[in-house]
Amino acid sequence: MATTIPSIACLGVIGRNNNPLHTSIFPSYDPATNSLRPVRTPLQFSLILSSTLDIFDLRARQNAAAGVGLTGDLGLLHAVDDRLAAYGFETNTGTRFVVVVDMRGRRVDGAAAAAAAQTGAAEGSSKRVAGAATGLREGEMRPVFKAMQAAYIQLMQNPFFEPDEHSPPAGQGGKRITSKKFAEEMRRIGEGWTPGAVSL
Amino acid sequence: MDEYPEGSLDNSIPFLLTFGTRTTTEESDSPAATLSHALKDEAILIRSELEPLDSDQARAVLRYIKDRDASNLPCSARDSVPRRYRFRVRSAERSILLPPRRARLPEGYEPPSPTQPLVLHSPYSPLSPISTLYPDGIIDPNWLRKHQYLIPSVLLCFYSLVADPTLSTLCDNQIKTDINNIRALLSQSGYKTRLAVVLLSEHGSSSSHASDGVQERLEIIRRGCGLDSKALFLVPAGGSQEELERVAENMLTTLYAVAIDYYRDLGRHSRKKRSRGVAPQPTVPPTSGTSQTLSLAGWNVRYDFKTAVFAEYRLEMDVALRSYELAYENLLSSELMELIPSWSPRWNEGRLLADTLAVRCLRCLLWNGQHSAAARRWQYHRERLADLVDRRARGTNNYSWEAWEARWAVVMADLIDRAGIAELAPSSQRLYLPPEKSAMGERLQPWELLHHKGYWYRLAATHVQARRAFAHAIPDDHRRSPGDSPATLVAKSAFAYDTYMCPEPYEEYPLRRPGVNHGRIIIDLLTRARDEFLKRNQVRLAAEVSLDCARELAMTEEWQKAVDLLRPLWKDLPFRSEGWTAIAESLTWGLRAAAAQIDDAELVILADWALLSRDFTKRPNWHYDISKALDDVDVSSKPSVSVRDGQFQSFISAAFLFEGEEGRAGQSVRSQLSITSNAQPESAPVVLGSVYLSFHGCLDGIILRHQKSEQPASARGKSIISTVALTRQADGGANTEKSAEDGSGLTLLGSADLTLHPGQSLVFNMEVPLREPGETRADTVTLHVGYDDFDLRQTITLQERGGKSLWHISPSRTKILPRPNPLAVRVLPRPPKMEIRRPVWKEQYYTDEPIDLEFGIENGEDIEALAKLDVVLFGEKPPSFTLSVPGHEDQISSNVRSEEARISAAPIGTIASAQSLPVRLRLPPIDRPSGYDLTLKVTYFLPTNPGTPISQNAVFQLNVVNPFEANYELLPRLHPEQWPSLFDPGNVVIPPAGDDAESQPPPQGISQAWCLVTRYASFAAEPLRVTDVDIVIHPSPAAQYSLTRRTGLPSSGVGRLVPPQTIQEAAFDLVAKKATIDDRGHAPLDVSLVIRWARPGDAKAAGEEGAEPPAPEKINTTTLPIPRFNVFGTEPRVLASVSHHRRRRSGRSKEGEEEEDQEYVGAPFVTLTITIENASTHFLTFGLSMEPSEMFAFSGPKQTTLSLLPVSRRSVRYRLLAVGDEAEGSASGIGQGGKKEEEEDEKKKDGREKQEEEAAGVWVRPALVVRDKYFQKVLRVIPASEGVRAGKEGFEVWLPRLG
Repeated sequence: MATTIPSIACLGVIGRNNNPLHTSIFPSYDPATNSLRPVRTPLQFSLILSSTLDIFDLRARQNAAAGVGLTGDLGLLHAVDDRLAAYGFETNTGTRFVVVVDMRGRRVDGAAAAAAAQTGAAEGSSKRVAGAATGLREGEMRPVFKAMQAAYIQLMQNPFFEPDEHSPPAGQGGKRITSKKFAEEMRRIGEGWTPGAVSL
Repeated sequence: MDEYPEGSLDNSIPFLLTFGTRTTTEESDSPAATLSHALKDEAILIRSELEPLDSDQARAVLRYIKDRDASNLPCSARDSVPRRYRFRVRSAERSILLPPRRARLPEGYEPPSPTQPLVLHSPYSPLSPISTLYPDGIIDPNWLRKHQYLIPSVLLCFYSLVADPTLSTLCDNQIKTDINNIRALLSQSGYKTRLAVVLLSEHGSSSSHASDGVQERLEIIRRGCGLDSKALFLVPAGGSQEELERVAENMLTTLYAVAIDYYRDLGRHSRKKRSRGVAPQPTVPPTSGTSQTLSLAGWNVRYDFKTAVFAEYRLEMDVALRSYELAYENLLSSELMELIPSWSPRWNEGRLLADTLAVRCLRCLLWNGQHSAAARRWQYHRERLADLVDRRARGTNNYSWEAWEARWAVVMADLIDRAGIAELAPSSQRLYLPPEKSAMGERLQPWELLHHKGYWYRLAATHVQARRAFAHAIPDDHRRSPGDSPATLVAKSAFAYDTYMCPEPYEEYPLRRPGVNHGRIIIDLLTRARDEFLKRNQVRLAAEVSLDCARELAMTEEWQKAVDLLRPLWKDLPFRSEGWTAIAESLTWGLRAAAAQIDDAELVILADWALLSRDFTKRPNWHYDISKALDDVDVSSKPSVSVRDGQFQSFISAAFLFEGEEGRAGQSVRSQLSITSNAQPESAPVVLGSVYLSFHGCLDGIILRHQKSEQPASARGKSIISTVALTRQADGGANTEKSAEDGSGLTLLGSADLTLHPGQSLVFNMEVPLREPGETRADTVTLHVGYDDFDLRQTITLQERGGKSLWHISPSRTKILPRPNPLAVRVLPRPPKMEIRRPVWKEQYYTDEPIDLEFGIENGEDIEALAKLDVVLFGEKPPSFTLSVPGHEDQISSNVRSEEARISAAPIGTIASAQSLPVRLRLPPIDRPSGYDLTLKVTYFLPTNPGTPISQNAVFQLNVVNPFEANYELLPRLHPEQWPSLFDPGNVVIPPAGDDAESQPPPQGISQAWCLVTRYASFAAEPLRVTDVDIVIHPSPAAQYSLTRRTGLPSSGVGRLVPPQTIQEAAFDLVAKKATIDDRGHAPLDVSLVIRWARPGDAKAAGEEGAEPPAPEKINTTTLPIPRFNVFGTEPRVLASVSHHRRRRSGRSKEGEEEEDQEYVGAPFVTLTITIENASTHFLTFGLSMEPSEMFAFSGPKQTTLSLLPVSRRSVRYRLLAVGDEAEGSASGIGQGGKKEEEEDEKKKDGREKQEEEAAGVWVRPALVVRDKYFQKVLRVIPASEGVRAGKEGFEVWLPRLG
């Protein structure tokens, strides 16, 4: 239990028209089989990504009322359950980045982590130790979003990429992003992130 | 939370028992509040002898107290209304049962030694054999119940304070007795329940006397019962509600302090017992089982638990939390739970206690607002227990554990609910709470930010699903009920399953009968979760939950509910349109399955229709044929389904384009309708019954009907382009429902093959006729799919595609129509088909000629038209003109303004179709060059549409230019006649007398001859025939003029054709004669040049037509005014004239040269005559000198003097002869100092002439000087005949060559 650390389970890019632009799914550690496999089906991830839209709307209303939230980083959107949590970021053009973190996505083989977990369990009242090993700080997702945004900007700089095709200014829906480079970049970000990473 | 034993998780709230009032309804208490049967026999009865009170007052007070019951209040420290007390209130009439303080011995048990009496313990203690905990249990919920429901902290007795003075003492004594009685009973029971008394006064509170008496009585009662002053309350009678409330409030606040004190005592007692550090011995040593007694650690847990509960009663939550945590850790430590074997019932009791402790910890945390800590605590307990169960019991991979997990999640949801956290209320629009201050900045799990209940319910539901999965994995052997199974099997499986708070495997999932209804539990949880999500506008998450829920419903075959759940999602949520294909797909398939089960044909059709789209993944073994949609559905009537646009994204898309941006009414415009299918590649083709294209504007709609084509269209091609002929729908004919609703509009019909193969586009080219001006716009396309068993109608709203509209040219080629709005066509008004032509217009029109303009008005309409004509001539001072139309009277224009002449609405009658009506417009000669705009406007009506005037305009430019321009030169000539003598009396003019003064007498003055040389140039664009050139001399009073000779005229009659831009010369000899000799002033000469000309084409054209006799050439007369000249000066002038002679000397210079030329031939002699005219009245003397020259020889006076009388003239003659051939070469060196440049100038001036002259003769300049003797002024010699010209240095004379 305590020997697991968070990892990214899914990266989603959602367009201005609430349309999915890109979804990358990453396998998580499965203690039952001691292997890596996605924690949910693509449909379920799709549902998770879609359900964040409600929260984006909600936050947009709240931020507009309070006049805050100019950075676009919405932090934790919600914890889907005790394992998965969705973090969100909205660019000022309305494109949303969603990171679904699996709080038990990676196993760490290390005496230190195990020891920390042991003491945490033994001490009882000091549950913080266990939390410290597995939890996330506020803003820990910022590097991920930064990297995603950088990748997205790079995609936009491609003269053959037509943003209006993917998020028609008036209307609904839009095409998905098919850029291999972008997908590769997402994969790199999703696989490269570990808790506490400062840059990706 | 309800699954836990009653009372175990209840809030601990001080228990107040009211005693002595009539309870209106016998309180049927919960089982927790009644004594168990075992204890009932030994229960301590506390009763009062007095009748229960039943007065209004008593009831009011009781009600007030009961209303303040705090059992169900949210357990949170942050209450909106701060409360000064919290009580759990119950009431009894006159008797209560308290549980026995000491348990009795078990039946038939003999104390081992009478000397050592057995120590009896509470029946709730593990020490008492009758307790279920005996001998080694720790604690059970009964103990909690005892304090919560059975033993009040405060017993509040109600008595009435009788007002009647006669009875008062008696009653007071009764009260005293009763109270004392109760007090005695209580103290006997061993419970430390506080006693309080309420006296309901019957006195009015007003009279001070009475109140004095009451005070006295109260004092007596208090003293008589030994009551504390704080434990006696008086409720005055007849008080208002406010007063009663005030008294009651006061009383409860006071009692609360008492109750807290009571629980503090109890808590202190528990702590004292814990601090003894010894495990007490049970009343009777255990004989059964392991004969193991509760260890000291167990006792510590028990005492800590008790301490914590009592602290909770006192609302000392921090203390309670500490104690609970201590108890929890001890319980799960290696000394307690680790030692209990998992098969023992104590194991499950231990787990229950652990859960209870954890719940109570959570409650304390939530009470303190430590939400994140609570969530963390929740998780910690789960992990702790999972670890424990994994190690010590049957592991976590079984249904029991999942059941517990689910329960644990629900417990949290319930706790959140009970805590009533305002920040998580739906109105706060918050999904989770931020971490409390102490936890901020830590590494938190996202789940540790306390989320609202929905998440917890959903979590629980997932665990129940897992539980079901485990349950379904139970082998059949274990699912048989023990009665049916062989005993060995029963024995084997007896301890194989964890049954902590969940049924045995043969109950969980029995073999042949329904067991635990997991589906129901899941659905229930999901529904609760969904409600929570919906309250917070998390529609998409709610949809996700609904989807799960529907799956469960499908599993339990509650199809109708599934449909009810899914249908709104499917219809309202934009998953499909936003591109969440997987979600939409899952939703649609779910709905399709459920709808098919409940025979909802409409939904089935819609779902099948939607599922045809290629966006969805192909499901193997599915027919993908819309015509088979209802195969497994029972329908009573033929369903008719219509799909609005936007309801869902159909696999059929439609586009419509007008080719042109604008069209004209009455014409038609090309348009293209394309219907594209994006169906699954192997699906059956869809046959559209009809397609209705609706318009907004001059057209209502187009209906395309399916008509099976003969040759089956290739299913391979990407698009099939066909041209559809449209016919107007016959009114009243085959009435479709559409034509009925159309009303007066125009609906067009066409037919085409509407079989739509997957992936194919049907493209229809249509000519859409336009009728009325305005904008016509295509709105929607309605596709109608009609099969035998159902109808489907899909409406597609046509949309602009942002300039990317594709026009199909051929099946493989398209072009982009770069128009912003290809759905609309701007219909311009019906174009006038009447045309105004001008068949024969001349190239140029000139001044002074009558202009005759001919127009043809041609009717291009299909039918005859009744027309009127407006003609406007616009320009500076337009002439009035005449319009002549065949069959109508000529009309003459009226000048509306100075710059406009018009004829309005001249009827020109009916023009038959394709006929042209010639119209003639005549303008009189215009005398000055000018430009005009001629506007013709034909307004006409068609008999088919008599209300709508149609008009056609034509504007023509009419420029009138001057055909000629001229310049003029007036050259003096020598008049041959003698001047009249001033001295001749005959010349004296006698002024006429009387009326004859008007009539001019014949002029008698001096005469002068002039030659007017005009050079006129044609500025016309074409050659003009000049028939005559003349001058008109305006009469002048001072002199009489006569035209004597004209030269340079065209030969008479035919005239001369003057090509454009050439200069023609005409010379006129004028003779002017002054009226009297006395008049010596100037005389003005006003002359106009008149050119008569004709267009050369006129005569020719007239001749060619032949029908009419060749019309005489229209001779136009252009008069060019010549600037005024002045003749007759008083200054003397010297005129030089020459005459040529051959062989004969010319006697007189007055004879014309021509005459001489004709008469004589031979060597040319030139006579130069110098005539000096003295028109003044002075006597003048002139000196003449003639220098000899190399160029010529002369005869005549070389030097002479001439004297002239007033008004006379004299002549001197010289004969000149050009000298020799050598002079020829030096023609340029004529005279003295003749400069070459000057010669060249002359050459340029009259180039060709000069050359000719050089061949025949030479110009010489005689150095002749005429000098006025008196003034010593040299007079200029003026050339006055042919052969003499003025040069730069003087006059020059033409000398012909000799020979």
